[in-house]
Amino acid sequence: MFSKVLVANRGEIAVRINQTLRAMGIAPVAVYSDPDAGAPHVVTAGQSVPLAGSTAEETYLSIPRLVQAAQATGAEAVHPGYGFLSENPRFSQACRDAGLTFIGPSPESMQALGDKLRSKEIAVAAGVPVVPSSPVCMPGDDAAKEFVARWGFPLLVKAAAGGGGRGMRLVNRQSELDADMEAASREAQAAFGDGRVFLERYVANPRHVEVQVLADAFGHTIQLGERECSIQRRHQKIIEETPSPALTPDLRQGMGEAAIAVARAAGYVNAGTAEFLLDPHTGEFYFLEMNARLQVEHPITEAVLGLDMVEWQLRIASGEPLTLQQDDLQPRGHAIECRIYAEDPYRDFVPSTGTLLRWRPPSGPGLRLDSGVTEGREVSIYYDPLLAKLVAWAPSRDLSLRRMEVALSQFLALGVVINIPLLRAVVAHPQFQSGDYDTGFLEWNPAVTSPYIDDETRMIARALAAWASHQPVGSASPTEIASPSWGEPGRRPTPWRTLGNQRLP
Amino acid sequence: MTQRHGEMRETYPATGESFRYRLDEQNGRITFELEGDDSEDTGPAIALAIESRASGEGLCRTADGDSHTFAWAWVGPELHLWLDGALYIFQRPESRRRGSSHATDQTDDILAPMPGTVLEVLVAEGDSVERNQTVIVMESMKMELLITASRNGVVRRVSVQQGQQVERGMRLLEMAPEGGVAVE
Repeated sequence: MFSKVLVANRGEIAVRINQTLRAMGIAPVAVYSDPDAGAPHVVTAGQSVPLAGSTAEETYLSIPRLVQAAQATGAEAVHPGYGFLSENPRFSQACRDAGLTFIGPSPESMQALGDKLRSKEIAVAAGVPVVPSSPVCMPGDDAAKEFVARWGFPLLVKAAAGGGGRGMRLVNRQSELDADMEAASREAQAAFGDGRVFLERYVANPRHVEVQVLADAFGHTIQLGERECSIQRRHQKIIEETPSPALTPDLRQGMGEAAIAVARAAGYVNAGTAEFLLDPHTGEFYFLEMNARLQVEHPITEAVLGLDMVEWQLRIASGEPLTLQQDDLQPRGHAIECRIYAEDPYRDFVPSTGTLLRWRPPSGPGLRLDSGVTEGREVSIYYDPLLAKLVAWAPSRDLSLRRMEVALSQFLALGVVINIPLLRAVVAHPQFQSGDYDTGFLEWNPAVTSPYIDDETRMIARALAAWASHQPVGSASPTEIASPSWGEPGRRPTPWRTLGNQRLP
Repeated sequence: MTQRHGEMRETYPATGESFRYRLDEQNGRITFELEGDDSEDTGPAIALAIESRASGEGLCRTADGDSHTFAWAWVGPELHLWLDGALYIFQRPESRRRGSSHATDQTDDILAPMPGTVLEVLVAEGDSVERNQTVIVMESMKMELLITASRNGVVRRVSVQQGQQVERGMRLLEMAPEGGVAVE
């Protein structure tokens, strides 16, 4: 096993990886950009390396600087987390060339699977059904025209190197196609350094279900059950649960076998996730892509199986055999995850920035919080607005949903607009609770993204606001009660404390 | 017993109306009453018992005994109130003029809808633009965002340049109505 590992990421996932590293007696090394100085992912690591600069390109996406940081600190391995360089074969190759172990699949299988089109070919060869799509194409070229003639609109423009909904557009009519292809290509170029796009048939309102896979270097591959990821905004997941309310035992087995077949066909080693579209009416499923990394939503799998995915990633990467057998895995209970985003659900999900003046997450039976922030920290424009993930586990689905609802209602956060009211509205919604929902949930239920306040609550809010506005200004200062758990009290004065009731220019 | 009068405006979650109020406070009990334009004219009222547990945080009880937890903080001119898991934002009326980030709809100028980076400026000073025409391309948190004109008009001034970081509510383009003020 390694003795020191560099975590090439930030935020909640870097904190979460540090936790496992420390629990295994491995020293974590953090890297951080200028705005992330003193961030939780730095403080929870024993050692850290500054990457001067603010933008992702200068810092968490800089392959040479990350490799250099690993070498300078004597790390033997690099964990990429998710996002950033996690699915970039050039990074895993650069690690290999520098004598560092990359905790993830080989550059070769990453290249094959990270390319959405190649991964489809692999799936077809393995006998797994896929959604029809075009080859890589440019606005107005023959491949694009041919595809449109065959399948029509609506269709999806997707980035070949894509993931997480970036570089993806839903196109409803011919007149928008060229502009959307160009925009998707620019977005993909900025996010992945690869602007290639292709067209895919749009399956209206499917469910989005994925299967977790683990494979070791000795050819042993198992699947760790599914995650239901159909609650999405802008094609990005916000709530996930396991088991999926949509799967019958037969479907579950079919998808699990398909996931293993794709992983084996790609010679996949380490943790990966096979994503499927499920037509809930016909029970047909289509392989979408293999995510060659740890997923954001992996904690719900950990909750029902009682294992640590990052620990298995490390064991497999260090050359240990995967000792878990398929029959050992008996999921227990139900788990749901809500992604806590700094964004405004009532204004088109615009990201929100500012100082987290209050950050008081809930605790209680069956709850887990993976958080990358603490009270007093700045939420900047530079990175993804995911602040934290709240997971609720319980023996039954019903109880896990209720635990989540209560926990969300107690989640105190102030200073930045956060999507918690939307998450609560979804979890409390009868359609969500019935389990009969699909990726069109937010479209079908516009009420959850419109504010509703009953008269009594409005009166209470107005009364409290009026009362609070007459309290002495210092009494609302968070600095007096700021949690000292990350140390360095007072080193990061909030604009509030230094400027009083003034808006920064 | 202290008595106060004041005026506030709701700006979140929905842009709401301004309201005038009377607030009586005695021994941690408050009575809050909405007032009409004429201060003799009183509207609905509510009584609350407030326990402040820590600075900027508290617990309140209504007359029928329901309790609610709350917290508040000033964010610039905005009072952010967290109440039972939801956020409400209020402003004092006089602070409305101080460049509120929510008052983006009363001007012809084109403002940044979210913080981010200007990727491309597609128009120049003096250009006529049509409603829904894309004028600026921004990027925020890795999402590309097309900024369109909300009505026909003429670009009086381009206030940003390519590559510039902008805050929410910052002016991107100064606009003159179509056939309106001539461009100097």
